[in-house]
Amino acid sequence: MRSVVDMPSSGTILADVRGLVVRYGGIAAVQGVDISIRAGEAVAIVGPNGAGKTSLLSAIAGIVRPSAGSIHIGGKPLAGFALSDVVRQGVALVPEGRNIFGSLTVLENLRLGATPRLDASVAADIDRVLSDFPILGERRDQPAGQLSGGEQQMLAIARAMLSRPRLLMLDEPSLGLAPAIVDRVYDLLRGIRSQGVSVLVVEQNAARAFAFADRACVMSHGVFTLTGTPGEIGSDAAFDSAYFGVAMAENGGPV
Amino acid sequence: MATAPTSPETAASRWFPLVVLVLVVLVLAGAAEFAPTVVQRRITQGLINLVAVVGLYVFVGNSGVLSFGNVAFMAIGAYVSALLTMPAAAKGVFLPDLPAFLANAEWPALGGALAGGAAAALVGLVAGFPLMRLSGISASIATFAILVVTYVVLGNWTSITGGQNSLMGLPIYVGLWTAAGWAVVAIVVAFLHQESRSGLLLRASREDEVAAAASGVHMVSHRLAAFVVSAFLSGIAGVLLAHFLGAVRVETFYLDLTFLIIAMLVIGGMRSLTGAVAGAIVITLLTELMRQAEVGVTVGATTIAAPGGLGDAVLALLMLLIILFRPDGIAGGREVSRPFRPAIAMPENQHRKAQ
Amino acid sequence: MIGQAIQVLVDAVSVGGLYSLTALGIGLIFGVMRLINFAHAQLITIAGYALLVLLTPSAVLAVLGAVVAAVLLALLVERTAFRPLRGADPATLLIASFAVSFFIEKVTIMLVGSRPKGVDFLPALAGQVEIAGVRLQLLQLVTIVVSVVLLVTTTWFLKSTRLGLEMRAAAENFRMAEVLGIRANRVIATAFAISGLLAAAVACLFVAQTGLVQPRMGLQLVIIAFVGTVIGGLGSLPGAAIGGFLVGVATILLQALLPPDLRVFREAFLFVAVTVVLLFRPQGLIPARGLRERV
Repeated sequence: MRSVVDMPSSGTILADVRGLVVRYGGIAAVQGVDISIRAGEAVAIVGPNGAGKTSLLSAIAGIVRPSAGSIHIGGKPLAGFALSDVVRQGVALVPEGRNIFGSLTVLENLRLGATPRLDASVAADIDRVLSDFPILGERRDQPAGQLSGGEQQMLAIARAMLSRPRLLMLDEPSLGLAPAIVDRVYDLLRGIRSQGVSVLVVEQNAARAFAFADRACVMSHGVFTLTGTPGEIGSDAAFDSAYFGVAMAENGGPV
Repeated sequence: MATAPTSPETAASRWFPLVVLVLVVLVLAGAAEFAPTVVQRRITQGLINLVAVVGLYVFVGNSGVLSFGNVAFMAIGAYVSALLTMPAAAKGVFLPDLPAFLANAEWPALGGALAGGAAAALVGLVAGFPLMRLSGISASIATFAILVVTYVVLGNWTSITGGQNSLMGLPIYVGLWTAAGWAVVAIVVAFLHQESRSGLLLRASREDEVAAAASGVHMVSHRLAAFVVSAFLSGIAGVLLAHFLGAVRVETFYLDLTFLIIAMLVIGGMRSLTGAVAGAIVITLLTELMRQAEVGVTVGATTIAAPGGLGDAVLALLMLLIILFRPDGIAGGREVSRPFRPAIAMPENQHRKAQ
Repeated sequence: MIGQAIQVLVDAVSVGGLYSLTALGIGLIFGVMRLINFAHAQLITIAGYALLVLLTPSAVLAVLGAVVAAVLLALLVERTAFRPLRGADPATLLIASFAVSFFIEKVTIMLVGSRPKGVDFLPALAGQVEIAGVRLQLLQLVTIVVSVVLLVTTTWFLKSTRLGLEMRAAAENFRMAEVLGIRANRVIATAFAISGLLAAAVACLFVAQTGLVQPRMGLQLVIIAFVGTVIGGLGSLPGAAIGGFLVGVATILLQALLPPDLRVFREAFLFVAVTVVLLFRPQGLIPARGLRERV
């Protein structure tokens, strides 16, 4: 399978990934990926289940150590940071399944989001979140586990944003949510982007991601098979075979 | 996962570890034959420990679940054999309230030993039947519960066990070669079990919880099978210890012995039978050296002696260092293999290092 | 008759308090590290010996010394043994904890011998007081008060301080807590320090009650309290405190209500209860979140 290198055209590079390989035991989930994310851009990585998208995101977030290749955040090598310091470099992650703290209250979840911050405006920022999302405001003292899936997703994004990241990464933000809720999630992401925050979103739901992103990468079997603007990729005949073809093959259909 | 070898060449490789381990035991016992009585007794005790460690290994090594309960099976084996083989007169003194069938029983040594092992296996089966559904920490806690419950029951069931008092006057029939014979039996049983279909499936499931969960019921029964075999061998080890010392005391079969047996297995390497055997032998030698150090060396008029209890402290420290720096123990998770061939590492080894 | 019942009740509550503090100390460490800390026993023991050594100058100094000794030992154990194993599989952690516990115990025996030593700690508390016609031991009342104060303080710390919030987050989902920027070392070291503090308190109360220290004093407490940690729900902090309390109350009630022949089997009943809980309600009475797949 041919591998495609993603190269941004211009702008400050926030995250720079070169030759990334991630292995679990004997299995290589990511087998040589290059991607750069510039300040203020929205990038989507799409691909079938098991393509290595989550592993890629986990590596950039510092959760898994790459077996080979390099990751630089704001010009500094990620390998030098403890997991808890990655967020202090301006990278925030909303993992798949959201991972809010269900036994903690909504307010406590938000306060934890601001962990890296030492400035005095944290309380004001939290108040703004609570008024922007009335449902969170109403339930600020209830355990977050009692929120609905969509509300938990809003909480997870708001929590991540309270660290004031330069790059927000989301893993499958539309997973398990009703279409109307997914609309709201992407509206929220557009708002975040308009504040100049870069957004990297990993999706199986390619249509949603394409409608949102400036650039897109199609990933399968641990490598990028296509990169470009969503328009270019959508009209590329290779996209069908790279994306749906693989998905069909994995479901036992014809290749 | 290992597959059944077909060619005679691989069949020979397959049996190689068994042959080597049995030879090691026989050579050790043969050498001890020419040693002073004191050393001979230490080696005998070492071989009894070896039976206990191999017994523990059958469950822990194959299932990956740490068991704190095997010393309870040792206790059960020891008490059952003691009650069946003690002279009726001695029982009249220590246990006047014994039911008639036990009070009059004077079984031969082998019958008592097998009954001890069988009783331990039966308790393992009954306790394991509900508990083997548990996994990970929960399973280990459950085995700890087996240890405590057995300890409390044996220590307070005065009419049958004599409670906290020692039972004395057991036939002392366990010498060097009896211990060596049972050590060989234990190694053979453990080897046959781990090469059996049930053993292989259990080992394969050990590293892959998801696959284990998917195969559900079967894994539970394989785990239970290992637990019962493990309980039997531990029971035999208890029998041997009782008839080596000529006395049983419930206090013997609690945390200190549990620690010793687990330490031997961990230091040897709990992922292979070779590790279990190596751990038992190496630690027996080491504790003997430490014991000498505690007795002291007399230089002229002064005796230089290490403080009492040093041996235990060193053993605990060694175990900790092994866990920190060589988690697969002395044997490194491998079986002994023929020279000039690459040693075949267990697949889970690589898995572990990658984490 | 009613007086007797009240005496048993006060006895039960004071013993429950003691086990509650012990179970909470074990539960805190399990919560943040998924580690069953057998060495909690040695934290109690070392605090007991610190009392013994420092009692001659003054009782206040002895209590302070006990706290310092237990907290330092807890931090030392965390730093040298458990930190390098962070993220290891549960079986390895379990073995390591067992080894650490035995190592400290054996070194203690090497240094001080295995014989019990008498400690006349706070003899004034041995007296009795009469409240509304019921004679109660002063020490039991003190035990209850100290337990309540420490449980309330720990709860306050967990609920109302930044570090407490981080600890609760780490207990629920350690990885996510780190992703949000919470520093693992700080949270875990704090948990160990608190468990040391709780162990020291338990040691003071226990020594005042028994008048003895010996190398295995912590072990007997920890084995029973551990039952409480499991019954309450491994990883659940309120579960540990309540489970420990229930176990303490249960021991006293079993002692009072069981026929004498069966009393001696008390601990066996407790451990049978543990296995029943593991089998039928593995998450315990008060389940911890995000743990089901890990225990």
